[in-house]
Amino acid sequence: MKFLYVILFIAFFAFVRLRRRRLSQAKRQHRPIDMAFLRSGVALVTWREVRERVRGKIFRYGTLLILTAIAAAIVIPTLHHSKTFTQRIGVVGSLSPALKSVVHDDVRAYGGVAQLVSLSSDATAKSEVRSGRLHFAILEGRSIVVKSLRTSNDASEIVQIAHDLGVAQALGAAHLSAAQSAAFAQAHALHVTSLVPQRAKSANIGASVFGLIFIFMMLQQYNTWTLLGVMEEKSSRVIEVLLSTLRPIQLLAGKVLGIGLVALAQATLIVSFALVLAKAVGSNLLHGAAPLEIVSVLVWLILGYAFYSWIYAAAGSMAERQDQVQTLALPLSVPLIIGYVASLIGASGTHASTLLTVLAYLPPTAPFAMPVLVGFGAVSGWGFMASVLLSLAATYAIAHLAASVYRRAILQTGARVHLRDAISRS
Amino acid sequence: MADLLVLQGLRRHYGTLAALDDLSFQVASGQVVGFLGPNGAGKTTTMRAIFGLTDLEQGTITWNGREVDATLRRRFGYMPEERGLYPSMLIGEQLEYLGRLHDMSVPDAREQTRYWLERLGLADRATSKVETLSHGNQQRVQLAAALVHRPDLLILDEPLAGLDPTGIDTIGAVLVEQAKAGRCVLFSSHQLDQVESLCESVTIIDHGRLVATGTVDELATSGARRLVVRVEGDRDARWAHDLAGVSVSEISGGEVRLVLDAGVNSDDVLRAAMARGHVTEFSFHRRSLTEVFREALQ
Repeated sequence: MKFLYVILFIAFFAFVRLRRRRLSQAKRQHRPIDMAFLRSGVALVTWREVRERVRGKIFRYGTLLILTAIAAAIVIPTLHHSKTFTQRIGVVGSLSPALKSVVHDDVRAYGGVAQLVSLSSDATAKSEVRSGRLHFAILEGRSIVVKSLRTSNDASEIVQIAHDLGVAQALGAAHLSAAQSAAFAQAHALHVTSLVPQRAKSANIGASVFGLIFIFMMLQQYNTWTLLGVMEEKSSRVIEVLLSTLRPIQLLAGKVLGIGLVALAQATLIVSFALVLAKAVGSNLLHGAAPLEIVSVLVWLILGYAFYSWIYAAAGSMAERQDQVQTLALPLSVPLIIGYVASLIGASGTHASTLLTVLAYLPPTAPFAMPVLVGFGAVSGWGFMASVLLSLAATYAIAHLAASVYRRAILQTGARVHLRDAISRS
Repeated sequence: MADLLVLQGLRRHYGTLAALDDLSFQVASGQVVGFLGPNGAGKTTTMRAIFGLTDLEQGTITWNGREVDATLRRRFGYMPEERGLYPSMLIGEQLEYLGRLHDMSVPDAREQTRYWLERLGLADRATSKVETLSHGNQQRVQLAAALVHRPDLLILDEPLAGLDPTGIDTIGAVLVEQAKAGRCVLFSSHQLDQVESLCESVTIIDHGRLVATGTVDELATSGARRLVVRVEGDRDARWAHDLAGVSVSEISGGEVRLVLDAGVNSDDVLRAAMARGHVTEFSFHRRSLTEVFREALQ
């Protein structure tokens, strides 16, 4: 953790120095800043962005499509489980009433109803199971035949029945008294207390991976919007009309803020919809998605957008044609893809790797790695906050640079502006 | 007191090319001022500089004695050369938005939007997208965008380009009306006949430098005296070529236009013409703006 504190201290020191320098520059130039207009200008640009984006077909149909896909992902698996299905179970030989009771109870526990079918031979039983007419068959109370264990649910059900039948037979063979049998029947597992609270790791990681994919998709979509939005203003030349009354930073901030608000609203809608629907239909898809994971995903979506949107906006100001945008978008998406893929690989491990931990503190990759780290339960509150502060400091520096590039590049038409030229001029 | 825009000693280079080379002139309110010059003379750069869209290496731009800044620019209206509007935004909402950016309240911006759309014959297109309009109508919306916030200074870069005669009449009438209402109107154009009919003053620049400025009347009547002479049956005006201090500027359809040096007596010219034949026309004339422009650039 020590190195984190050092980095935080350096970032804070740099921020204070930069702020002081800017204030003293403004003072030297005797330029009063019309804060009221600055705010109202940004607010107007933000409002226009929100209105136009929400009205757009891409947003409306895109949101509808995402909600439909999520609804399908949540509801379809529960349709299978919500039905009380009858399992035809073959029985070769005889089963005592106690053993029949075990089978009925176990099948019921897995949401089904057992229908026992008497069969004459093992061969018939295997043939019926293979054909799919029987779910499985119990041969002379000694073994169970199953075609295949297709799902984990099937496997755990069969294993449970096999275990319980074995135990019931062993109890029968022990010639216990009625009272002893009853005592065994009431047996239940010991209560386990963990000294360090820990949730089911697999379920939390599942939710984090879901969040990781969500963040990646949202960042790709909304950063592309920012890129294309800035380029459209430049290529349609409306930028000249706008900048005749607005400062470049107002226009840039309004655009980034407006698209960010739309992204946040859409993300909140999607997450809320998924949670409410999952709860309503009793889905276990988001099981384990504790509030901490959800908050973590939303926080890193916002921070990820804040960090990347400035970069994409500056890139958009350097292009005015679609082909130029494609050339720019490819290198920009490299850090996103690296962060996403590395975090996805990290999530497939049994514990948080060193690489994942390092990536969780680097601003370009933190939006992907930190939610996974949270899923592993491998980060403290302080560590989380440190990563947030590092990301905010990096976003401040990036926004400052992006605003300079934007100011220089947005009014240059013709050939694509190169980053080196834009930076050197700024 | 009349409003006054003053440009003083503007300099701007693009590489080795001087786009503005110590350019200075003034634009007073209450009149339409034509801003003329050949392609590449620096007109657009000047207009962009007024709106802070081009960085100046040197020079100042003031409005009523105060250096133009972002706050003052919100009282200016601008129609750029390459039309700039959001193609897929609704026209009415777009004009309201631009009005709001110039500090207008919502009801005021809405009322002014309605007024200008009606005034420019686009009342029924308020809910259309800009991209669905014809070129001429897009031009009208662009003009409305420059006017919606009741600017004190109106700067228009080629507002008449590509318009049909009706469009020119409409936009021309608006410009004159704005000037009469006490606003400063400066516009550039290559359609000199239109400029001559709309403007009271013109400013001509070339290679980023001022070459002529003044009222159209002053410029048309300044310089050497000009005569229009028509002699029956004479097509080549050879009689005029031999006159000392007289040069032929144009011969067209039997009409000869002559430029007289200061010491030349016009009676001598009349006598020479009469010696050639029956004189059917003999009059002094003003320079057309086209002649003013051409001669200023020589």
